[in-house]
This record gives sequence, structure tokens and C-alpha cells, in this order.
Amino acid sequence: MLLQLKNIFKWVQQGGQRVFLLKDINLEVEEGEFISIMGPSGSGKSTLLNVIGMLDTFDEGEYGFLSESVHTLKEKYRSNLYKEYIGFVFQSYHLLDDLTVEENLEMPLLYKKIKSSERKALVADMLDRFNIVGKKDLFPTQLSGGQQQLVGVARALIGKPKLILADEPTGNLNSQQSEEIMELFKKLNEEDGVTIIQVTHSEKNAEYGSRIINLLDGRKI
Amino acid sequence: MFKNYLKIAWRNLKVNRLFSAINVLGLSIGLAVTLILFIFIRHEQSFDTMYTNADNIQRVLLHTDGDNGQEIWATVPPSLGPTMMTDVANVEYAARILKNDFGGTASLRVLEQNFTEKDLFWVDAELLNIFDVTFIKGQAKGALDRPNTAVLSETSAKQYFGAIDPIGKTFTVDGKYELEVTGVYKDFPNNSTLDCNIMASGITTWFFKNPSWYNASFETYCLLKPNTDLASTELQLQEMLNKNMEKENQWYTFSLQPMKKVHLYSAGYDNAYANRIGDIKEVRNLSYLALLILLIASINYMNLTTARSQKRSKEVGISKTLGSSSGSLLFRFYMETGLVTLISLIIGVLLTFTALPIFNSVTGQELSTDSLLNVEFFISLFVLWLVVTLISGSYPALYLSQFKPSIVLKSSIVQSKGNVFIRKGLVVFQFAASVVLIVGVLMISKQMEFIRNQKLGFNAENVVAISINGLKGSEKKDALVSELKGLSNVSSVSLAQGFPGMEVSGRSLSRNEDDKEKLNIQTNVTDASVIDVLQLKLLAGRTLPSFKQEKDTLVEVVLNRKAIEYLGYSPEEAIGKKVHISVPNTIVGVVDDFNFASLHEPIGAYAFHNNTGEGKSFALVRYNAAGNSSTINQLETIFKAVAPNAAFNYSFLDNNLQNLYVRERRTAKVGIIFSVLAIFIACLGLFGLAAFVGEQRKKEIGIRKVLGDSIVGITQMLSKDFVKLVFIAMLIAFPIAYWLMDRWLSNFAFHIDMSYSVFVIAGISALVIALVTVSFQSVRSALSNPVKSLRSE
Repeated sequence: MLLQLKNIFKWVQQGGQRVFLLKDINLEVEEGEFISIMGPSGSGKSTLLNVIGMLDTFDEGEYGFLSESVHTLKEKYRSNLYKEYIGFVFQSYHLLDDLTVEENLEMPLLYKKIKSSERKALVADMLDRFNIVGKKDLFPTQLSGGQQQLVGVARALIGKPKLILADEPTGNLNSQQSEEIMELFKKLNEEDGVTIIQVTHSEKNAEYGSRIINLLDGRKI
Repeated sequence: MFKNYLKIAWRNLKVNRLFSAINVLGLSIGLAVTLILFIFIRHEQSFDTMYTNADNIQRVLLHTDGDNGQEIWATVPPSLGPTMMTDVANVEYAARILKNDFGGTASLRVLEQNFTEKDLFWVDAELLNIFDVTFIKGQAKGALDRPNTAVLSETSAKQYFGAIDPIGKTFTVDGKYELEVTGVYKDFPNNSTLDCNIMASGITTWFFKNPSWYNASFETYCLLKPNTDLASTELQLQEMLNKNMEKENQWYTFSLQPMKKVHLYSAGYDNAYANRIGDIKEVRNLSYLALLILLIASINYMNLTTARSQKRSKEVGISKTLGSSSGSLLFRFYMETGLVTLISLIIGVLLTFTALPIFNSVTGQELSTDSLLNVEFFISLFVLWLVVTLISGSYPALYLSQFKPSIVLKSSIVQSKGNVFIRKGLVVFQFAASVVLIVGVLMISKQMEFIRNQKLGFNAENVVAISINGLKGSEKKDALVSELKGLSNVSSVSLAQGFPGMEVSGRSLSRNEDDKEKLNIQTNVTDASVIDVLQLKLLAGRTLPSFKQEKDTLVEVVLNRKAIEYLGYSPEEAIGKKVHISVPNTIVGVVDDFNFASLHEPIGAYAFHNNTGEGKSFALVRYNAAGNSSTINQLETIFKAVAPNAAFNYSFLDNNLQNLYVRERRTAKVGIIFSVLAIFIACLGLFGLAAFVGEQRKKEIGIRKVLGDSIVGITQMLSKDFVKLVFIAMLIAFPIAYWLMDRWLSNFAFHIDMSYSVFVIAGISALVIALVTVSFQSVRSALSNPVKSLRSE
């Protein structure tokens, strides 16, 4: 098993009352799964994704990731854990505007303290695989949205993560670009065995996954 | 419209509390500093302007060749005053003033009590015609016409006579002169160069009655007829001198100095009696410093406002699409600045009122805020407000109002590189200024430290100088010496005319009387034990003989190395040789050079002699280090026993030496305070800028964190840019600081070498200060939750 959430609660205090963002979430994810989280706006999809990605904390419950219990870990170990095993893809790509495509790809490797020669090799590999060698010296603003997201996915993959978390990865893309990205995810999932959890509004995109989780008001239905 | 602008401006201030607070704080400190210096400068400039005749009063200066080139003295020979009044047509009045005992203190005996008076002046009666002196009791006319009369200031009358009416009462000066009080005058205002506590009629003394063309110890003021040509008057002075002195004996020339310039433009002149001496250089330097601080504060405003321009750009874009012109936007941004400056100005004025006493105590000034409550001040406040608004508002207003709506309203705009460049440039400027100030402050403190610890060639520690002017006759003085020597704590006692650290008696030295070439030399009448008391190093010969016959005209002299080198002797050769110092002298000993004047000047020639033509004014007592205060008590007891009618007045030699550097120390203090303020304001700006950068790069920080960067890494990343700026600032600042300090140090004949450690320390401190300021914000940004910054809109 890759990860397990047990009775996860997350709330904020508002006017003396608890407003639940997540309510009693139980979830088990096996390696190699492709899960889509769906639900209306404000149902807690992104919050759940952030909790899984260890970017956000929760108030109650247990979270196990690869036999580590995340809720007892200190910040530093948590960040080591997600640095090692998790890659993120965002709706608005979140590439760094001041860096070239190549440098953007290299960044996660810097934080993993990988040697320069090895970094070069890994980046070249990724550029090759995603067919963006010709774009390596361009800045993100010089690329189309689809291309930017391609770089975003490549960046998420470069650290060889076990799990990719994607928050509406196609939200800013047109349908053709969307399809390309989803095909890419599917290929990664099937050929490389990368576990993927995505948040999406689109039924069509959700179909690519093997399992769909529906949320409403922070609750799994 | 206007009200609407004001409302937006006010809301903008309220919403951006941090930035507004930084702006207001920085600007109000900057303005307060400027205001205080403004008061100070106004005060300095107001010196001597209140005299009705201020425009027509001149002080006579004496020019002569000194060891270090031309010297200008504020004192002239006593014959000049009376002669110019009769011989020079345009001179209405001329008056000499002589501080008691040629610059010493006076020992007073008033109503059976002893006092020490520092500011007793012997003056010509004409002085009251030249300067406005307001009499409370008695009248100016005729007050000092007779010998043995004196007038007192209101304060000293109260001090010496209390409630008793002093008119007609008498008091004794130095046990020699009995003076009758003929008037009491209102104290001189605190911006008067002339500041006498007691004015005594000069004709009481031998020196006034028997004027000569030597003994240049008299400050002389004259009142010219209105519209007199100065150059022609100076020529007439020269003609007058020619009539009275052989051309080849003339070792000086005269010039006239307008009264209004006396205070600020006399810093380099020797021998002036005034306690209140200003320095135009100090005024200028402080003005530059004030300007610099104001500029740094204005830069903060510019930087923080343009930094926020991205946020404001949308507002500009919308206003423009709704039909607002660049002009009206310009006006709007200026108004916003105006509002900030106005608030800062009000706080700045309040700060000025609270900080002025502190400034006074640090600088020893007596400035008061009373001088502020007039129309002129409010006009200058208004001008200041306008100038600061225009300066600090210019860049933001011009920059922001030029935004093109079509570009601005697109969701993401790329910051123009030019804007960033200018902002960085401004930060570099601020820090360069700070680094220069730090180097300056360090260097000045080091030099002061050096002065304190410099080996002077004699030992000034544990020597006390007791004024003995109040003792009449040599028997009393000898009695005092033998009594003092009896104390177990006292190791040696010497009677002397003066001591190192004070001007004694300036003469000229030559091998023979007829020699044209002469060297200025300080001469000091003293006795055998002076070498023991001062712990001078005797190079050859012996000290002055311990006993001298009353009628013995043989004058023996102990010279310093500088003097015999001028004569061309080695120390051993010099012994027994005759030299001429006003009278023939026989060299009996040679001592090594020692710093008898301030370290500003190279060591000159010095002579200890036993010519009794001049009197001895001090008993120099060397005591053992232990029991400092009890020793003074013992000295006082003995002094009172020997001389019940004289005031016990003493000073420590080492303190006296330190007093030579009062101005430097004041400069150092003011410099430190202002530098700290300047650096503080610069830090405020940096703090705000770091906060802004953290905000601006929020997204980037979020991404980096998600990708696994550590908090340390992000803090480093954010601080790195600022560190780079500080390094650039150092590169700019170091040469400037080097040049400035080199110039300052060259004012001292004895000074430290430019030390590189100072630059290293200044650089490191600037770096540390910048880092601490920036990392506070950087850490905050680094700690922020990436989820918040990455949330999709």
C-alpha cells in the first residue's frame, strides 16, 4: 500500500463554530492506481490533495505514507518525504518565470542535492522524452499553456516520484491540449507504474483514472 | 474630486499599514534631524547680528609667519587700539579686551569670600560704545572711565553679591587690584561672541597704561563709520604701523574681520578669548549630513511606493480607462505623498521638540525651540514640506502615472527592468552612505582613542595645576611650595607660568639678537623641579638652577630638541651656548620633544627659563596615583592655610589636554548619533523592501517549497540579492570614505594610519545590519504556507 488516510478531519474556526473542510475521510491508495477526485467547488478536493501532498496539515486522524505515519513526523522529515516521493502538477503550472525550461526542470534536483553531471543527464532525458529539447532555452512566458503544463509535468516527474498529485492539471488548457496531458498521465500510469491522484471537474478526464472519489462538503460519498 | 483623491490616499495609507508606518517613521526622523540642524545653523548664523552696529564693527587680526606657514591671530599688540582711534580717520572707536592673566582665571575676594572667575576681562571704556550693553543698574556712560572700576553681569552680580546692591561695593582681583562696581548689565545673549561676566576698566592695569607694539595679547574691536572701505582702512593701518615700527622689525601685518564673520570664520585663528567659537566647516558638514538623512528617508518613500507599483498598476489602468489623464494621476500621487509628508512633518516637529534637549546636552549647545515659533519657521516648514514632497513623490508619481492601461490591465505584467534597476540603485546609494558614515565614525573614534593614548613625551597623569594668581609675593608662593612638598602623597612641586596644553608666552628664538631668521618659541617661566613634575626626558645638561638671586639678570634656559635643532646644535653641544629669546639666555639643559600643544600641530620649539619678567601663575603638583580625591582635599587645606584670601582653583593636566579636542569630540558624538539614525532609516527602507520582495515572490517561494526547498534555502535566496547590493554599496563607499577620512586625518599632525580593519569592520557591520533586517522578512516569507500562495484563482 502506498498511503492510507484514517478518519481525517480538518476544520477552521469561524465565529466560534467549526467549519469542516474535511470530515472523516478514509482512503487507501495502492501503488499504480490512477484516482480522480471530483466534486463541486468548495467540497474539499484541493484540501484533500494538499493533505495527501503534506503541504497542509489536518486536525484529527491518521495518515500513513509508505509505512511512515505522517501526522507524527516533524516538518523537516515530512518535507524530505514528499521531496523524495511526490511530484506536484498545478492548474496554473507554477513555473518560475525567471528560469528557462531547462532550469525549471533542474530545480527539484537541486533540492535533492544531486550532482551536476547527473542533473544534466536527467534533465536531458526528460526534455527528450517530452519532446521539448528545442524549447529548453525558452522562458515559460514564451510557451503556450499546453507546453507550459508539459514542462510542469516533466518537472513533477524528474525526481522519479512514486506519486503524482495534480490539481486540475487541465483547468487552463483547451480540449486538445487537455487530451494530450491526460494521455500522458495514462501512459505514465500504465507504462511506468506511477501512482496518480488528480482533482478534476471534467467527467471525461476522470474516465482516464481507475477509480473516482466523490466529495461533497468535505465528506466522501 | 479633491476630496475623493484625499479619501483614496488616506485609505491607501491605512490598508498598507507596514509601508505607511515605515514611510512615516523614516521621514519624520529625517525631518526632525533636519529641523534640529536647522535650528542649530540658524543659531550659529545669528551670532553677533543683534548688535546695532553689527555691520560696522570689525575685529583686528594679526598675520604672522609661524612654523607652519602663515598664522592668523585674533589678538594684537596693545598700542594698536588707541593709536588707530586717533590716527585712522574712519575709526570711531576702538577697544581692547584682555582676559585676566592673559587667558587665565581670576581669583576674586568679594565680601570676605573667595571665588574663581573664568571670564573676567580688562577692557577699554570704548567697548561700551561699540557693543550694545544694557545696564540694569548704573549707566554705560562713564562706567569704566576711571581706573579701578568694574561692571558685572546680572548673573555674576547675583552670584557674588546675592541680594545686596553691588553698586559702590568693592572686590579684589588676584589680591592685586581693588575694583569698585559701577554698574550691572544684562547678560550677553547666548549668540554673542563677546561674553564677559565681569568687565573691569583696562587702565587699572600696567599693560593698558603702557601699551607697546609687542605683546600681541589684546583682542581689539573697532567701530567704523558707516560705508567705510575696508581695504583702504587696512592700508591706513599699515601706514600707521610704518610710522610706529621700523620696517625690518615688523613681524606682522593687520587685517579687519567683520563682526558677523567672527563666530563662524575664526576656527583656525590663534589666541581668541571667546568661549563660543563656531566653525563654518562644522555647520557645512552637519548640513550635508542632514541633507543626506533627509534624502535617505525620501529614498525609502520612493522605493516602497514604486515597489508597490505592481499593485497600484491596476488602479492606474482602471482610472485611465475611465478617462483620467496622466496629469490628474500625477497630481493624485503627489497628493498622496504630500499627505504622508504632512503627517511625518507633524510627527517630526513633535520629535524635534522632544529631542532638542538631548541634542543640547550632547553638543553643549543652548538651543531653544522658542526660536521656532515665528512666521519664518512656518514658512520654512512649508517649503520643507513642499521640497520633500516633490523629491520623494517625483519618481513614484512620474513612474506610476505613465502606465499604459492596455498593458497594465492584463493579468500579469512583467516588471520593467529599468524600475528594478533604479530601485536597486537607490538602495545601493543608501547603503553606500551608511558605510561611509560607519567608516567615518569608526575612524574618528580611533583617532580620539589614539589621542588619549598617545605618548606625549611627558606624563600628564597625576599632575594638578593650582592657580596661584591670588598669592601675593614670592614668600607666599615659596611657603605654599614647601607646605605642599611636605605632603606624603606629593612627589614634586614646581611653580610655572603655564603648562603643556595651554598657550604660555610666545616669543622668537635666534642665535644672536641681530639675526633676521627667527623661530617662534613658547616660553615658560619656571623653576628646577619642572622636569621632575612633568617627567620630561633630559637629553643633556641639567635642569634650571634651583636658586636665583633676586637681582640676577642672567637668564638660564632649558630648550627642547626642536629648538636646538633649529639652532644647529646637538644636545651636548648646546649646553653653555648663548641664545636670544627677547633677552640673552644661556642654555643649561636640553629635553626631548614633547607635545605641549594639541596633536593637530607638529611639535614646535619650547623653552623653560627663569627670566622673572613674567610671573608664575600655577603650582604644578605631581602626586602619587593613590588617594586622588583626598589629595585634592589636602591640597586645598594647605592652600587655604597659606592664602586665606585667594580662591582655590585647580585643574588636572590630563583633563586640560583632553579639552583641546572638545570640538572633535562633539563632532564625533553628533556624527555617531546621526549615522545611527541614517543607518536606522536605511534599514527601515530595506525592511520594507524585503517585505515587499517576499510578497512579490510569494508564488515563487511557494513553488520552491513544494519542490522541496528548505526554509534556510529560501531565506538565503531572498537575502542573496540584498547582500549583492550591499557589496556594490561597499565598493562605492570605500574610496569615498577613504578620501574623506584622509582629509580629516590630515588636520592632525599626529594621526593614526588609515587602517584597513576599519573598512573591514564597517563592511561587515553593514552586511550584518542588512542581513538581519532582510532575513527577518525572508524567514517570514519562507515560513509561509505554500498552499495559500499557490491557490489557483
